[in-house]
Amino acid sequence: MIRFESVKKKFGDTVVLNNISFNIEPGEFVVLIGPSGCGKTTTLKSINRLITPEEGKIFVNGQDISKVNPVKLRRKIGYVIQQIGLFPNMTIEQNIGLVPKRLKYNKSEIKKITKDLMEMVDMSYDEYAHKYPTELSGGQQQRIGVLRALAASPPIVLMDEPFGALDPMTRATLQEEIVKLQKKLKKTIVFVTHDMNEALDLADKIIFMEHGEIVQMATPDEMLANPANDLIRDFMRKSSATSDASNLTAADFMRTNAISVYKKRSIRECTDLMARQHIDSLLIKNEDDTYAGIITIKDVKKHGKSSGSIGEITPNENITSDAGENAKDSFDKLYNSGDNYVVVLNNDKTIAGIISKTSMATAMADTLWGDMQ
Amino acid sequence: MSFFETYGDRLITAIQVHLFYVLTSVTIGFVVALILGILLSRIPQYAKIIMPILSIFQTIPGIVFIGILFLYLGMIPATVIIALAVYAIFPVLKNTYTGLLDVKPEYIEAAKGCGMSPLQTLFEVELPLASPSIITGLRMSTIYTVSWAVLAAMIGLGGLGEFIYIGIASNNNQLILAGAIPSAIMAIILSLLIDVLGRFIIPKGLKEVK
Repeated sequence: MIRFESVKKKFGDTVVLNNISFNIEPGEFVVLIGPSGCGKTTTLKSINRLITPEEGKIFVNGQDISKVNPVKLRRKIGYVIQQIGLFPNMTIEQNIGLVPKRLKYNKSEIKKITKDLMEMVDMSYDEYAHKYPTELSGGQQQRIGVLRALAASPPIVLMDEPFGALDPMTRATLQEEIVKLQKKLKKTIVFVTHDMNEALDLADKIIFMEHGEIVQMATPDEMLANPANDLIRDFMRKSSATSDASNLTAADFMRTNAISVYKKRSIRECTDLMARQHIDSLLIKNEDDTYAGIITIKDVKKHGKSSGSIGEITPNENITSDAGENAKDSFDKLYNSGDNYVVVLNNDKTIAGIISKTSMATAMADTLWGDMQ
Repeated sequence: MSFFETYGDRLITAIQVHLFYVLTSVTIGFVVALILGILLSRIPQYAKIIMPILSIFQTIPGIVFIGILFLYLGMIPATVIIALAVYAIFPVLKNTYTGLLDVKPEYIEAAKGCGMSPLQTLFEVELPLASPSIITGLRMSTIYTVSWAVLAAMIGLGGLGEFIYIGIASNNNQLILAGAIPSAIMAIILSLLIDVLGRFIIPKGLKEVK
């Protein structure tokens, strides 16, 4: 359906595409991925001649596209961009009907197409068709952006980070919708992203690019199993760390640098330690390293004496959870108890770490917006 | 005898002549400016040099320009109309040019990607999106031209300027006001009419943003 033969492109002295060759079969969902500047967008834009390569040939449907009028070519290739680009001066129906209008479809045909497409993404024609883009939310706008690309039923749709500017919830919904649309309409889709999760979720085939070259072209499973180099492995790892929140355990979120002391340490040493570390409680361990409880600065004050060992003070109970416990359950405990943290214990009852409210917030942020470090 | 009995007929003629000068020269200036603005926006790398040069002409006082044209063309309405049209060009030109350049690249890319030809992109996307800016330019041009048209009287070609000049020469405040007030009202009415025009021309989807 789409074939690249030794395609080269330079911007000034920078080689952006270095001898790219690949083949995309009809009906395939291909995701181009790679670090910024790897040439993925250039590759995409070469397909509808928004960019013209210096060397090599690109065939769409067996035709050398350098010999096709670009305006005519683009009417047969749907195009969705990250900034959405719905024309603000046109209604939703006019936006969707843009390409069909160029292709001289009549009004009732355009209305029918608009209606059918909007139904597919559960948007009511009567409610939205005559609104202007600014009256819609970002997610709704990009739905229309996708529909506009599909309106003249082009066999190929190009998508340039279409969901990159959307919030994670909306993005997930649109990803699902695009998979459904693709299954139903059997389009050949070329999709650019820098988000490996998105690639793994959507792609039949992933093309991983770096420095204008294809590093690996494989199915998601193959790529997961045998990443061609460390960079790909790195991309995969980053994505899998945040991929499925339901599988994460308490151990994934705990801080391991929690300060603990044996019972035999003197009270004075312990208060010094708390002062130095700016903390108001300590984890107390038995001689066999098992967890005994916590002692706060209040308990020390109540005790009254600074001589003797910390073991003389009865430790308080604090909520605990097992290292292997589902992170959500630990969070629930922490949230519902009055304690400041959860003590995470290993199987042998030794201290593994603590989960504080701060680490909980960081963890949630990570899952929502990716690696926060 | 009241003022209107004496000057009424002359005042109405003066208003008509003044309005004629304004409408003709703004129309000519607007068309020229729109075409120039579109052409310049296609070549922004040269326009960056051309625009400042054009803006220098803008700084030549109108009185000098009309004077020079008068020497070449003589005392005919064309002298006034050409001079005013030249001055009417600049605000529209500048606003057309910047309005077109301010169209976000994503719309141009989307238009290209949808298989729109450059002309279709211009007429269906770029000009509609630049229309608020162009209408603002037109309003500025019109208001300026109403006041510049006063200069027509300087070379004896009538308009409301006649009253102002005679009033100044004869130290007659009534005459000065008889020229100044109608031209101020004319500026206000024309600018309101342009607002109405804008309501038809500026696409609905753009107005809701504000």
